[in-house]
Amino acid sequence: MTTPVPQASSQTPQGAGSTPIPSPLPSRGKAGEGSNTTLGTFGVKSGLAQMLKGGVIMDVINPEQARIAEEAGACAVMALERVPADIRVEGGVSRMSDPAMIKSIQDSVTIPVMAKVRIGHFVEAQILQAIGVDYIDESEVLTPADEEHHITKHNFKVPFVCGAKNLGEALRRISEGAAFIRSKGEAGTGNVVEAVRHTRAVMGEIRRISIMNEEELYVYAKEIRAPFHLLKETARLKRLPVVNFAAGGIATPADAALMMQLGCDGVFVGSGIFKSGDPATRARAIVQAVTHYNNAKLLAEVSENLGEAMVGLNIDAGLKGGRLAERGW
Amino acid sequence: MMPAAAPLNSVTVGVLAMQGAFAEHQKVLSKLSCKIKVIPILVRTNEDLQKCHALIIPGGESTTIALLARLAGILDPLKEFAKTHPIWGTCAGAILLSSQAVGLKKGGQDLFGGVGICVARNGWGTQVESFEAELEVKGLREGERGFHGVFIRAPVVLSFLPQQPDDPPIQVVARLSADVVPPLAGLDIDPSIKTDQTDVVALRQGMHLVTTFHPELTKDNRFHEYFVRECVLPSVQASTR
Repeated sequence: MTTPVPQASSQTPQGAGSTPIPSPLPSRGKAGEGSNTTLGTFGVKSGLAQMLKGGVIMDVINPEQARIAEEAGACAVMALERVPADIRVEGGVSRMSDPAMIKSIQDSVTIPVMAKVRIGHFVEAQILQAIGVDYIDESEVLTPADEEHHITKHNFKVPFVCGAKNLGEALRRISEGAAFIRSKGEAGTGNVVEAVRHTRAVMGEIRRISIMNEEELYVYAKEIRAPFHLLKETARLKRLPVVNFAAGGIATPADAALMMQLGCDGVFVGSGIFKSGDPATRARAIVQAVTHYNNAKLLAEVSENLGEAMVGLNIDAGLKGGRLAERGW
Repeated sequence: MMPAAAPLNSVTVGVLAMQGAFAEHQKVLSKLSCKIKVIPILVRTNEDLQKCHALIIPGGESTTIALLARLAGILDPLKEFAKTHPIWGTCAGAILLSSQAVGLKKGGQDLFGGVGICVARNGWGTQVESFEAELEVKGLREGERGFHGVFIRAPVVLSFLPQQPDDPPIQVVARLSADVVPPLAGLDIDPSIKTDQTDVVALRQGMHLVTTFHPELTKDNRFHEYFVRECVLPSVQASTR
């Protein structure tokens, strides 16, 4: 097997984020012979998100935490230098993490490793794709690099997850190429109220559009600034066309099960695990809560004796670090 | 522990619902039209498992699925179930059905076993190596039409393990064509393990079926129909005779 693996078109750097038309997808097989395999299709991007469903994705800052997360049953880890709670306290500009630190986490676990880039920072995304991360989070938790444009995510082989507060925002991100959506919540607060607000907004809008006729859908697409074809597809499916997780402020097994019962496909837990008293036990309890989210008896069992939860913050005008969910356009 | 004398006009096929793409399998099964009615159920407890004539282990993260199965107390029942009932493992499910696996997390993980193969977890690398490919499959309905294989951080079948005299033979159901088999990712594989079957992406041993790709992510239900026709029905008929 010495067949060369052709890379993406040589004129456009793969995932440059600047081409108006998605560059041709790279393929394996004999060069020039119309190969019959394709890398980085939307199918494999959204497919990986489907494999993460019913699971918990945990923020980790070093290989030791990543191993604890894997042993506790995380279906993926998010590698970052500071969890959102620390970003709030310390302030300053938050950027993509050091690739060496991300690689050390990739080497320590077998589950997918995700990492965050700033909104609009397509070069950070090119770097993460080059080191082979499994998913990129174009995240409002980091300081935005662009106050108008998000990354053109179709141009990348690596898939992207993006946050959304409502249906219009979710569909705009999908139209840019996001293969996975999460609520924004209010990261680093340990307060689930915003994740509930965003999830209820999306689910409620989907219920409303599912009974609209085509004329009404045209008007609604205009109102919420969503592409019509994606809105129509969402109405037909009665759900988002990609996987939808809860994120932002989830701190307990009950929080996780609440988000699942509201209709989410899985949860991200950021600061909630490693800012708590007993991360390994809490992580495992949240993993079980997501699988058995309808089983109150089991939820009661796993909620016992978890130690201190992370300190929760009220989301008001005095919130240190401000409202991260407002970032994104 | 067969379900109480189920009349043979329906079979119950469970989908292990610990984590992963179980809803997709359930949806395909619920729309399947076969010689016999297929009733799909989600399996989260041993009680659920005992209602099933057969089981599908979906794609997901095999470490997570194995841990949750142990915590839910169905790890040993699953191993027993595999001895007497058909199981189909897709992707993570293929890893869990294998007798041996490499590239596992530090300290290894639980496998349910049942199929005498050695697989490599994420054998072709990370998500950026995930791909789609057309496959020629033996035994599918409308076999002249290829099957679209979706490979996501897929496990790789490295080799077939030496068989015991009473083990059923391993039958290859689909291979990748030689010019599109990706190179193995830089895995630490013990030299005693052969790597001569890396093009095999679907296989059967006895009543078990293994696919390293995801038929449940396509609109093509022929693999589900194949599993019911070739694995589930013969097994149910044999046990009620």
